[in-house]
Amino acid sequence: MRTLLIGIGNGSRGDDALGWLFLKEIEEKDHGRFELEYRYQLQVEDADLISKYERVLFVDATEEHLPDGFIIKKCEPANSYFFSSHLQSPETVLYLSKSLYHHTPEAFVLPIKGYKWELGEPLSRKANEHLKKALGSFRTSVLYEEAKINVTEKEEQF
Amino acid sequence: MSKTITIDPVTRVEGHGRVTIHLDDQGNVDESYFHIVEFRGFERFIQGHPYWQAPNLVQRLCGICPVSHHLAAAKAIDQLVGIDPTDLSPVATKLRRLLHYAQIFQSHALHFFYLASPDLLFGVDAPPEKRNVVGVAVENRDLAVKGITMRKFGQELIKALAGKKIHGTLAVPGGVYKSLKPEERELFLNGKEFPSIDTMIKWSQEVVDFMKDYHNKNRDFLDTFAAFPSGHLGTVKTDGALELYDGKLRAIDSEGNIILPDVEADDYVQYFSEAVAKWSYMKFPYLKKIGRKKGWNRVGPLARLNMCDYIPTPLAEKARREYFEFTGSSVNNCTMYSHWARLIETLHCAEMMKKLLLDPDILNDEDLVRKGDERQVGIGIIEAPRGTLTHHYEVDDKGKIVRCNLIVSTTHNNDAMNEAVKWVADKVLSRQKTITEGMLNQVEVAIRAYDPCLSCATQAMGKMPLKVELYDHDGTLIGEKLKN
Repeated sequence: MRTLLIGIGNGSRGDDALGWLFLKEIEEKDHGRFELEYRYQLQVEDADLISKYERVLFVDATEEHLPDGFIIKKCEPANSYFFSSHLQSPETVLYLSKSLYHHTPEAFVLPIKGYKWELGEPLSRKANEHLKKALGSFRTSVLYEEAKINVTEKEEQF
Repeated sequence: MSKTITIDPVTRVEGHGRVTIHLDDQGNVDESYFHIVEFRGFERFIQGHPYWQAPNLVQRLCGICPVSHHLAAAKAIDQLVGIDPTDLSPVATKLRRLLHYAQIFQSHALHFFYLASPDLLFGVDAPPEKRNVVGVAVENRDLAVKGITMRKFGQELIKALAGKKIHGTLAVPGGVYKSLKPEERELFLNGKEFPSIDTMIKWSQEVVDFMKDYHNKNRDFLDTFAAFPSGHLGTVKTDGALELYDGKLRAIDSEGNIILPDVEADDYVQYFSEAVAKWSYMKFPYLKKIGRKKGWNRVGPLARLNMCDYIPTPLAEKARREYFEFTGSSVNNCTMYSHWARLIETLHCAEMMKKLLLDPDILNDEDLVRKGDERQVGIGIIEAPRGTLTHHYEVDDKGKIVRCNLIVSTTHNNDAMNEAVKWVADKVLSRQKTITEGMLNQVEVAIRAYDPCLSCATQAMGKMPLKVELYDHDGTLIGEKLKN
């Protein structure tokens, strides 16, 4: 299954780098399995991007308390709009994909709990633990397995 | 009892701003302010850095117009390595121009389709849950898809030239880092992966036509809403043509009389000064010879169409002539005409992109960088999407930046936006028994027409808290609220 991973965050702002670091790890260790996009924020035009995929996973840092430090959950389209032009939710981007391009990819969100957000700060120890757990869990999930099957099929074609 | 109305944050603009309107005992508007609450810092932050870092560092001011800062800084840094705009190689000049037009094209598309069109399509007092780009997507799919695709075209061209859509690098001191490859250029001409440049020109014309029709139907509102006289500033070629990358500074008054006669951009310090106000982090630039009170100028699309003699591409020039035939005067002081002017510029940028994409020089990878005798002062001025943008750097003998002055487009429009807020406060909010959301949105509509980029205007550094302070008619603080 053609799967896109979108990492949202800012590599210069402490634990806000979680989304990008997740993608970086996948890029290095699972090269070619997924298509990857790094974002500071989701924007309206990302609806055009995700409309070309069967499955999308949005990975982002969160301030919310999560019992395991992360969670992978289904994302459904929702008609909500943030006042800024360049900060939209995964649900809104999905909704726009459905409305404008008549395609709704199967979508999931993966928030990872972070703690520190200041400019120039490194990733906090606890956020790093959550990142490793999130990567481990993701690699045993159906999202990973089905993307893997697709890569095998692709390789066989060649 | 006196009353204060606060709009916080102002929506569908780039960055965070706040408006306070103070009413007296009778409900008349006493004072109104458009406050910029983001904190400035880049002018100081950049001191001590080597000059060659500036074009990449300063573009971090913003995620919407980084290319404009990159190019304005690059022009200034060129001078530090002894290269004036006329010394830059033709290849480098054309590649930088192409990047610049792509940036203005995508920025103008973003503003019209994402920020302004909801007010125009649904009305300024439509419910806020409908009055946004999602509402446009649901009710006018064709327009929304075109808007997104036009923005995408500009961003993809920026990516091809600078490596990334946001915070990429094309310009280096004295030139450019690379040229385009033939296969990269082909992407924008053949329309296989996304619609071609010819489609961009066609769609730009269609949107200009849409706006002309909109003006025909809504003339009374557009002719009067937040209309007020002011000066207009921009840059032109020596023959008076609109020039967005490297021109001479021209300012006119509200009736079209030239008050700054095509002076060299490098001499801006002789003509401009900047004032500050205790209620805003944004500066107030003005022409010295006219003074602080009346010497401010509008900048951006409305001002540029007013002050130039013509647009040097045929379709946009035709559209400009129709625009002035419609307005019936040689200078337009109506805030809401900014949208029409912006779309004419969008068409101009599409035409310029096509001209440059077809120019074989952009594929040439020779003579990309030139060098002259080093200097200690560099000034770069361009017309950014939102107006005249000035970068000024001074370096020590080791090449470290010791002084930086940025006059960002939105700061030139600071007085104009405050004037527009005052207009709405007086004409719409004064003496009303009930203040509706639609009335308050009209304040934002007036500001939004100037497409302010508040992050740029204050050189904000990241997430800043908002502090709301309420004062009674004696100026006593009666409440405050902090929002992170």
